[in-house]
Amino acid sequence: MFKKIILSITFSIGFMFACSEGDDLDNNQNESFDRGSLQTNLADNIIIPAYQDLSQQLGLLVSAKENFIANSNQENLEVLRNNFLESYMVWQSLEMFNIGKAEENFYHYQMNVYPTNIDEIQDNITTGNADLFNPNNNDAAGFPALDYMLYGIGDNDTEILDTYNNQDYGQNHKNYVSSLIDQMKSITEIVLNDWTTAYRDEFIASTENSASSAVNKFVNDFIYYFEKGLRANKIGIPAGNFSSSPLPHTVEGYYVRETSKDLTLEALNAFQNLFNGTHYITNDSGVGFTDYLNYLDRNDLVNLINNQLDEARAKISILDDNYFDQINNDNTKMTQAYDALQTVVVLIKVDMLQAFNISVDYVDADGD
Amino acid sequence: MKKLITPLVLALVLASCSSDDDKTDNNNNNNQTVDAPATYLFTRNGENTVSYSGQSQRIAMAEELISALKDETRDEVSLDAMFAHVEGDQDFSDPDMLELNASSKNVRSKTAGSADYFSSNSTDANAIKADFDSWISSQVNDVFPNWENTASPGNAGLAQELGGSIRYVNEKGLEYNQAFAKSLNGAFLADQICNNYLSSAVLDAGDNITNNDNDVLVDGKDYTTMEHKWDEAFGYLYGAEEDETSPVLGVDSFLNKYLDKVEGDSDFAGIADDIYNAFKLGRAAIVAKNYTVRDEQVEILREKISMIIGIRAVYYLQVGKTNLGVDNASAFHDLSEGFGFIYSLQFTRNPMTDAPYVSKSMVDGYINTLMEGNGFWDVTAETLDQMSEDIAAEFGFTVDQAAN
Repeated sequence: MFKKIILSITFSIGFMFACSEGDDLDNNQNESFDRGSLQTNLADNIIIPAYQDLSQQLGLLVSAKENFIANSNQENLEVLRNNFLESYMVWQSLEMFNIGKAEENFYHYQMNVYPTNIDEIQDNITTGNADLFNPNNNDAAGFPALDYMLYGIGDNDTEILDTYNNQDYGQNHKNYVSSLIDQMKSITEIVLNDWTTAYRDEFIASTENSASSAVNKFVNDFIYYFEKGLRANKIGIPAGNFSSSPLPHTVEGYYVRETSKDLTLEALNAFQNLFNGTHYITNDSGVGFTDYLNYLDRNDLVNLINNQLDEARAKISILDDNYFDQINNDNTKMTQAYDALQTVVVLIKVDMLQAFNISVDYVDADGD
Repeated sequence: MKKLITPLVLALVLASCSSDDDKTDNNNNNNQTVDAPATYLFTRNGENTVSYSGQSQRIAMAEELISALKDETRDEVSLDAMFAHVEGDQDFSDPDMLELNASSKNVRSKTAGSADYFSSNSTDANAIKADFDSWISSQVNDVFPNWENTASPGNAGLAQELGGSIRYVNEKGLEYNQAFAKSLNGAFLADQICNNYLSSAVLDAGDNITNNDNDVLVDGKDYTTMEHKWDEAFGYLYGAEEDETSPVLGVDSFLNKYLDKVEGDSDFAGIADDIYNAFKLGRAAIVAKNYTVRDEQVEILREKISMIIGIRAVYYLQVGKTNLGVDNASAFHDLSEGFGFIYSLQFTRNPMTDAPYVSKSMVDGYINTLMEGNGFWDVTAETLDQMSEDIAAEFGFTVDQAAN
């Protein structure tokens, strides 16, 4: 009797083994993880609350802008700048969600392409009525353009305020600040409204492991964001990792100067929270990619990724708040931060995707 | 009795279910022998599938650059432009019509540029690129202005060998053009071969395995991505050959040339065939989708190509030592070549450890020792012997084997 049981167990296991093709064992295990609970947590506790937060911040920015336009004095400029910086910080939690209406509208291209193009901005100011939704204006719109308008348009605050109060061209400058902020607000509303009215349900239902499923696209998007938006744009490009010499004028927040590091750290935290499923508002824990990896017995990878993210945070934390100065004074610390981020890229893009059995849907352009 | 039945049943089940998936079959066939063709010739439906024009171009660019480094009329900007060529710029004379000026390739971006050693270590990669930049800059700014002066300790200038050849050295007796050229063997060629194109991070990137298993070809090409990556590794050693199916060796100033030199040392004869055969068999293994055999060839290639660098490093230290004090210009020339091969050691790949045979910090130490004080003017035979012994020991050959 005992032996019969063993035999039948062995037989069934053997049968399963023999008839599964290739990677299917992994696949089966992948399929049975409740991806829906992961996607629901992402949508309800991370993505939508972050969009709502940005929408609210941009609402404050709109009011601050109206006050500044009515009375362009130092006090109103300070309030406007503070609202700008707070919105820019919230934005760091959103740039990685390039899916749904955000993808359809090239949202992040409209919000955060830098370095901004001051020639185009000046043209737009002079001409008036620029179509900021036009892709040609991606590098003359969004946070980086506002950075220039609020910090870079004069050598000091007096000059900046004089510009806005100038009888000949002050109004044109006010109009441009107004258009920039209104456009950021309106496109954010489009993306947010879609999430709350339609896309949320579509997103959490699209759980299958296929190239077009929401979850696979989302995973690819946030890895791409980490590699491009975070690693390359914030650190690698200014540090000269993609050019023959450093390009300090390409830092994020170039005209504010003292904010580049805060923006990077905020982006890194947002990424790590997304990975761990941590709720946006409350920091409560929820179902994250960590749970998915744990389900696949890859607790080792969860630890590796979190440790390496912490390592990257440590390397970034020792940088000057002002990357422009950091690059000019000791660029080695920038490239060390880049290297720490690159180590994360390998873990998430190769090891994590292999564990999830998800294909990379983008390629780097480094072939020959 | 029952113990016997179980495996029997299992075998039956396996046999009945396993024939519908190529990948499973391939994995099962991983230990079967792969037949390598007689030469590095691979075709698909009658079309040649081997391609490595980018490698041939880069080798040709490096050739022109190391020649230009000996032309005292050149300026730094034009030499930098040859190193970091930008598509369309007229940086090269291009005698072999390889369309170098139109090419999007350059050498600098592939210097300390491998996936395995440098993708997460841009800090070291930048420092290494900066070394090459500084050799160009110092050649132009320190050596070219002293082209007519006789070198002495602390002073750059010319030094004439007993045979008549004139060498142009810096204030420490180092020829920058030799340092530059010989360091490329490691930083550019061996690094790209051993730590990039032969690495799993590149060969198996993305969907390369699935695509190779299913003969999914690169758009508009006759090869799979994995086949092509392998060919690109091959191209960095044989890219200057007229005919890859019967390489003659000694056709460039880099690894191809020094493979020929090492082959000519009876202690290491056979290495050229070993390397060619490993490239052939590994490529055939990719065609046969047998990645076990492929990876065995990778190990052979990493070891043997690293050996070229280790052997030549020791060789030049020993030849330089013999000439020291007798014919200083010759000694400095040899030691300058040795400098470059020592620099190259940090890019070698020991298949047992997946690390260099000689680490970057050891290399930095050797370079500092050679350049201490007045550099080659006062380096001693004991120092050169000790360095030779240390390096030879890391590879497992003897100084005597390398020296003749």
